Amino acid sequence: MIKKIIDIVGRDNFTEQLEELVPYSYDASMNVHRPDAAVWPETTEQVQAIVQFANEYKIPVIPRGAGTSLSGGVVPIKGGIIIDLSKMNKILEISIENRYARVEAGVVCDDLNRQLAKHGFVFPPDPASSTVSTIGGNVATNAGGIKGAKYGTTRDYVLGLQVVLPTGELMRTGAYTMKSVSGYDLAKLFVGAEGTLGIITEVTLKINPLPRHAMTAVATYTKLEDAGKAIFQTMTSGVIPSVMEIMDKVTLRSIKENTDIPLPDAEAMILTETDGFTWEEVEAQMEVVLRILKNNHPIEIKTARDEKDRLNLWKTRKSAYATLARVSNSFVLDDVTVPISKIPDLLVGIQEISQRHGIVVATFGHAGDGNLHPQILFDEYDPDQVKRTHQVEEEIFRLAIALNGTLSGEHGIGLSKANYMSLEHDAVEMELMRRIKKTLDPNNIMNPGKRALD
Amino acid sequence: MPTQLQFDEKHRKAITQCSRCGFCRAVCPIFDLTKRPITNARGKMILLKEVMEGKLPLSEEVAKAFLRCTTCMNCTTNCPSGVDPQEMVKEMRKQMVGAGFDNLFKAMGETVEKYGNIYGETEHHDWGHKKGKAPIVLFLGCVGAYREEENIRETLELLDVLKVDYTLIDEVCCSGVLEDVGYQIKEDLVKRNIEALQKTGAQTLMATCPYCYRVFKDHPAYKELGMRIKHITQFLKEFDFSVQTDKRVTYHDPCDLGRHAGIYDEPREIIRKIAPNFVEPRRTRENAMCCGAGGGFRGAFAKESVKIARNRLNQIIEDTGAEVLLTECPSCVHNFRNAKRQKQQIEIYNLTEFLAKLYQEKKEVSSSKAVA
Repeated sequence: MIKKIIDIVGRDNFTEQLEELVPYSYDASMNVHRPDAAVWPETTEQVQAIVQFANEYKIPVIPRGAGTSLSGGVVPIKGGIIIDLSKMNKILEISIENRYARVEAGVVCDDLNRQLAKHGFVFPPDPASSTVSTIGGNVATNAGGIKGAKYGTTRDYVLGLQVVLPTGELMRTGAYTMKSVSGYDLAKLFVGAEGTLGIITEVTLKINPLPRHAMTAVATYTKLEDAGKAIFQTMTSGVIPSVMEIMDKVTLRSIKENTDIPLPDAEAMILTETDGFTWEEVEAQMEVVLRILKNNHPIEIKTARDEKDRLNLWKTRKSAYATLARVSNSFVLDDVTVPISKIPDLLVGIQEISQRHGIVVATFGHAGDGNLHPQILFDEYDPDQVKRTHQVEEEIFRLAIALNGTLSGEHGIGLSKANYMSLEHDAVEMELMRRIKKTLDPNNIMNPGKRALD
Repeated sequence: MPTQLQFDEKHRKAITQCSRCGFCRAVCPIFDLTKRPITNARGKMILLKEVMEGKLPLSEEVAKAFLRCTTCMNCTTNCPSGVDPQEMVKEMRKQMVGAGFDNLFKAMGETVEKYGNIYGETEHHDWGHKKGKAPIVLFLGCVGAYREEENIRETLELLDVLKVDYTLIDEVCCSGVLEDVGYQIKEDLVKRNIEALQKTGAQTLMATCPYCYRVFKDHPAYKELGMRIKHITQFLKEFDFSVQTDKRVTYHDPCDLGRHAGIYDEPREIIRKIAPNFVEPRRTRENAMCCGAGGGFRGAFAKESVKIARNRLNQIIEDTGAEVLLTECPSCVHNFRNAKRQKQQIEIYNLTEFLAKLYQEKKEVSSSKAVA
C-alpha cells in the first residue's frame, strides 16, 4: 500500500514517520488526532491518483492548506492520509483585462495579493492569517476577514474551481465570466465545505481594483448600547465602511493591563475605516460615519489619514489576539455571527454567560457584518475549567441562534461545532446535507467525521 | 535509555502559550524550503507539548527535528503569542544531548578543542599585521579566517587605509556555536583568548563576525576584561569615506547581527555614505529572511542550507534588482557565494570588504592618471 502511494508522489513527498505526523494531528483548535501518513503532491494528477487509491481501499483523506483552522477542520479524526497542498503554490494566470486570477490551491493569500498589487488589484477577503493561509484553505472555509461588511467573503470571489471528487474524477466547474447561471452553482457548493466533498486543486478568483486611499477613526464608549447603536446606524446610513470593528471591555482591559497602549476605561471601542479611489470620496464617507459616532455619546474619537497615524489607531485592535493569547495558556476562538442590530444583545449575553460560569470571555470582531470573536480563556490542564468552557461555548452558540444568528461566520464547523449543527439546521436540512455528502462521497473517505455529516 | 526532558515553569508556559496559529510558516527559512510542518516553530512546539504530556517518546527523530533550525529568530519576532521558539530550540538541544542524544556537533567540539578552530585547520595565516600592543584588537573568527580569507585581507587593508591603530591576536575559536547546538562554550579556549587579549592593553575588542561579537557581549569572562566590545560596523559608522559607488546596492541583515544583536542602523549609515543608490529588500531588518547558515544548520544540513541561501538571494535580486549585495557576516557571505548561480550578475561582499575594494579602485584610477 505504502509503495503505491510512494509510486504516485515520490519518496520525498511521503511520510509515515511518527514525529512528522505529530504536527499534522493539530490545527489552531483544541482537537487532536493522528493521521497515518502525509503526502505533499505537486500536481493535480497526483492528488487524483491518491484519491482514487484511497477510495478503492476506503482510506480517509484530509486535504490541508496552512492548518490555521480554528475548528478542527483539518484534524484527521478518523486517521488516514493528510494531503498537504502547500507545494502546489503556483499562480497560474493573472488576467487583469478579464478581472480574474487563476491559482493552485496552495498559493498563500498574501503572495497572491502582492502580485495583484503590482497591477493595482486585490483579492479582498483578508483573514488574520493571510500571511500563511492558502487560497485552497480560504475557499474550503469560506474565509472572511476584517473587510467582510463591504467586500464580502471568499465565496463572493470564487468564479470557478478544479476539484478532485472523492470518487477520483477530476471536475472543472464554474466559469471565467463575471456572471453565469449555467447549471447548478456547483463551485459554490465546495466553498466552505471544509474539504468534505472533494479536494480543490485550482481556483479562479474574481479580483477587485485596489482602493487607493483610506481613513481611520476610533471611538470609545461608556455604554455598550451606544456603541451598538453607532454601529447599526452607520451600517444603514448609506455609507458602508470598509472596516467596522468592535472590542468589548474585557478585551480592552486586557490590552490596557498588558501593553503600553493608553486606553480609557470603556465598555466598548469601535475602529472604523472608509476607503475609496479619491480623497473626496473617502472623506465624504468618513464625515457621515463621524457624525453618527459623535451622536452616540462617545468618550473620545480619534481620526487618522496618514499611514503612520492609521497604524497607531490599529494597534489596539491588532494587539487583541496576541494579548489574549498571552494571558491564558489555552483558548477557544469562536466566530458566532448575528444580524447587525443584535450585536449589543450578543455582547451583553456573552458577558452574562461568562460571569455565571466564572470563565473569562473577551469579545472582539467584525461588527459591520455581525461576526464576533468571543475568545474563551481557560487552562486546558484543569478538567473543571475545560468542562465549564464547553458549557460557556454551548450557551454562546444557543444565544447566537436565539438571536437569529449562525454558529460560524468564517471559521467553519469542523469538529468543534459539529455537535451543535442541529441547533441551527432542522432535520430536513441536515438530512439533505448528509445526502449530498453521500452522493459525492459514497465511501465517506473525504475528511470524514466533520460537521455531523456521517 | 535516555531520560525524559525537564520542563521548568518557563518552558511549560512557552509550550502552552503557543496557540498553534501557524504564523511562523511565513518566516521559517527551513519550512519555506521543505513545506514540512515539523520544520517550523509550531511543529517543534507541538512535538515538545506531546513529549511534555508523555504522549510522544523522546527519540532520535525528535532530537534530529530540533537540529533542523537555523535559530534565525524570525519566528520569535513574528510570534503573536509571544513565544521564543529559538530559545526553546537551543535549550532543548542541550537537554537532548544531556539525555543521551549526542549530535554531530560533538565532533565539532572535539575539533575546536584540539585545533582552536571549527574546521580543524592546522595552518594559520600570518596576516602580515602586527600582533602586539594597540588600542584596538580585531578578532577575525573562524569562518572569516579559514573560509573567507580574501574578505579578511580586504578588511585589514581597509583599516590600514583608514589609519586605524589595531592589533591581531593568536586567536582561538570563541566556540559560541557550541552553545547553540547542544553543548557548551570551551572555557579553556576562552581563557586562551582572554590571556592574549590582556597582553594587548587594548580598550576595544572589535569583532567582524556577529557571532563572536555576541559571545564577547554575553560571556562573563569577556565582559570582565572591561574592554568596549564593538562590532566593526559600530566602529566604522563614525568614519567619513572618500569613496563612492554608483551601483545599485542592497543589504541583507544577518540574523546574528540584526535580530540577535539589534544592530540594524549602523551598516545602513555606512552604506548611505558610499552608495546613494541604496535599496532595501522587501523582507528586511527585523523581518529579514535567514541565509540558512546559522545555528549549526549549515554544518548539519549543508545541501538544504545552500538551497535556503539560493532562495534568499533570488528573493533579494527580484525585489531590488541590485548589482551589489552587502552584508556583514562571514557566514552569510560564504553561504550566498556558494549559492550564487553563474548567470547571476550580482556581486556579494561584506561591507568592509566592499569598502576596501572601492579604495583600491580609487587608488588604481589615480595611479593610472599619474602614469598618463
